[in-house]
Amino acid sequence: MEPLLKVENLRIELTTRTGVAPVIDNLSFELGAGESISFVGESGCGKSMTALGIMGLLPEKVGRIASGSITFNGEELTTASPKRLRDIRGNDISMIFQEPMTSLNPVYTVGEQIAEVIRAHQGLSRKAAWNQAIELLDAVRIPNAKGRVSDYPFQMSGGQRQRVMIAIALACEPKILIADEPTTALDVTVQAQIFDLLNDMKRQTGASIIMITHDMGAVAEMAERMIVMYAGRKAEEGPVEQTIEHPRHPYTRGLISCVPHIMSTISEERHALTEVPGIVPSLSDFGQNRCLFASRCNMVTQKCLEERPPEKPFANGQKAACWYAEEV
Amino acid sequence: MSNETLVSVENLGVRFAVKRGGGWGKASYLYAVDDVSFEIKRGETLAIVGESGSGKTTTALAVARLVEAYQGKVDLDGTDFLSLDPEELRLARAKMQFIFQDPYSSLNPRLRAEQIVREPLDSLGTMDEAEKKEIVDRLFAEVGLRPEQQRLFPHQFSGGQRQRIGIARALATQPDLIICDEAVSALDVAVQAQILNLLRKLQADLNLTYLFISHDLGVVQHMCDSIAVMYMGRVVEHGSRMDLFNNPLHPYTSALLSAVPSVDKARREATKRILIPGDPPDPVNLPAGCRFANRCPVATDICRQQDPALRDVKGGHKVACHLVGEDAVSPL
Ligand SMILES: Nc1ncnc2c1ncn2[C@@H]1O[C@H](COP(=O)(O)OP(=O)(O)OP(=O)(O)O)[C@@H](O)[C@H]1O
Ligand SMILES: Nc1ncnc2c1ncn2[C@@H]1O[C@H](COP(=O)(O)OP(=O)(O)O)[C@@H](O)[C@H]1O
Ligand code: SF4
Ligand code: SF4
Ligand SMILES: [Mg+2]
Ligand SMILES: [Mg+2]
Repeated sequence: MEPLLKVENLRIELTTRTGVAPVIDNLSFELGAGESISFVGESGCGKSMTALGIMGLLPEKVGRIASGSITFNGEELTTASPKRLRDIRGNDISMIFQEPMTSLNPVYTVGEQIAEVIRAHQGLSRKAAWNQAIELLDAVRIPNAKGRVSDYPFQMSGGQRQRVMIAIALACEPKILIADEPTTALDVTVQAQIFDLLNDMKRQTGASIIMITHDMGAVAEMAERMIVMYAGRKAEEGPVEQTIEHPRHPYTRGLISCVPHIMSTISEERHALTEVPGIVPSLSDFGQNRCLFASRCNMVTQKCLEERPPEKPFANGQKAACWYAEEV
Repeated sequence: MSNETLVSVENLGVRFAVKRGGGWGKASYLYAVDDVSFEIKRGETLAIVGESGSGKTTTALAVARLVEAYQGKVDLDGTDFLSLDPEELRLARAKMQFIFQDPYSSLNPRLRAEQIVREPLDSLGTMDEAEKKEIVDRLFAEVGLRPEQQRLFPHQFSGGQRQRIGIARALATQPDLIICDEAVSALDVAVQAQILNLLRKLQADLNLTYLFISHDLGVVQHMCDSIAVMYMGRVVEHGSRMDLFNNPLHPYTSALLSAVPSVDKARREATKRILIPGDPPDPVNLPAGCRFANRCPVATDICRQQDPALRDVKGGHKVACHLVGEDAVSPL
């Protein structure tokens, strides 16, 4: 069966002061209907750019899809007209962003903003759309939805604003919901509520979810499959549990072991955290024909510096772009 | 490790006047820190956790006298910190330093790294140039920066390196207590690990005491010796790292811990998520009873009538909840 979304050999270029750089460099992946995947990696590795590329929302004049293809339900998006892309964004693929305050309009009430999307999407009357906005606020568990529907965004807490964003995304009844660090600015208890909400929504509507995060714990809780990005490239992909259990790329291994996790019981003893030395290369160093992780990798050899490692597949579906993936 | 108490905070209170609804009505108060008490032993780390707005930063600022407390006592190594006069305070400040969250905005962009690190020594005004230079050189080495980087400006460093500069600056006056407010929150996980390892190494080498504020319970678990959990200006639970994580007693603490997503499958399967619906009450119009009652899954009538006090239930494990008895068993 055709996957719902198929990204093939995608290359996204950004024009910066220092030249043109491939912020996404030959990325391929698939997303099935009703599936949830997570993109994970440090800042600047291209997670948001992947999402914006799919949405047709790359920064104007700066970013462009240089080559490759994105197909949604068999339809090519890289060559679709701006109007068609707007249409798809309104109906099929929705996105929620990290900072809900910047994506909500401060001068309209949250009810007006939700109702507007409902009207555009379902062509309901003003009154019916307003009532449905209340229902949606209730569905995303805003207490006293009837009263809060007339609030302005600034009158709500960060967690409530993020729930409003989810309500707006739900109003479109999307087939794919892309959530870019939807809980990074929120408290863990609120994050837990948002995750529950997203999972409920997925169960009820059968939507697919792409969640971008830097938190491996969130990946473990939210996704079936994960994609680790490094410097614009896919470092590793695989089923979440097996990949966390046995990463095949040194970067994935580093991301997991450098974080102090809360385990099922806490013991007195504590060890120094495993360090991944250095930082993500700058955009101008992306795209070279070598392993871009080499300067931070403790398994590096000459070969890694001379040629970009190809993706090695494993029997369980894991794939890692490392010359020595079998040895990790 | 010594058993000596370095910092003792008693009944600390900070309030902010807020005007509600305009008009001539008299100002009401938001009690950002309400009757907070805790102790930190020399060479140890106390973590403060709690949701956004619970009062963590304000507590730290009040301890350092960067906001004014309207009540309470802060004892730092035998000095009654809140009653010092301005000149005494200037000297005593050297004993207490801050490392802030944002390595981008907390460093003066017009100063070179070396000037930033030297600044606290300049304002102390007790050393000559040669002494100061020697200390700055040593600090750069200690936090893992190269000597030639002393001449660079903040924008020429990465986030992690900027945080190292912030740490060097905090260490300059040989403080007893370092307050880290979300000191690693803005950093990516790999750089965060580098900084956390550095903080722990410096603590061991220099016998430093940390007051460590973080919203990341994994980080807290790794860094702390004891924890204070805050909710709406109050400490609702306070105890050792082992007690707090392995035997949380306050329902809010349990909810907080259960909400942390984990890579550990055993933990995910063993943890039942405790949902706390709704939002905290209006901080200006606090309810009569327990502040957590409107969200607490086990609240009873007494909870809505009486405000529970923080009390020691078992060997230093303190909790403010009516339903926790002497047997130190969670009411959930
Ligand atoms: N509008 C833009 N103009 C120029 N460069 C950009 C622009 N947006 C992003 N970049 C650069 O592209 C690279 C990847 O950015 P992207 O936001 O996709 O990464 P990310 O992994 O999602 O990071 P984060 O977790 O910080 O959001 C970074 O080097 C970033 O500085
Ligand atoms: N200068 C101020 N004026 C009024 N209210 C304040 C001020 N500073 C903090 N508060 C309030 O005090 C409470 C605690 O804030 P804070 O200490 O910053 O919490 P945290 O660090 O845990 O996020 C919050 O309700 C906050 O809005
Ligand atoms: S290809 Fe080489 S440098 Fe890159 S991750 Fe594998 S071992 Fe490390
Ligand atoms: S005092 Fe009552 S409402 Fe408050 S935490 Fe304990 S059980 Fe819950
Ligand atoms: Mg991003
Ligand atoms: Mg704070």
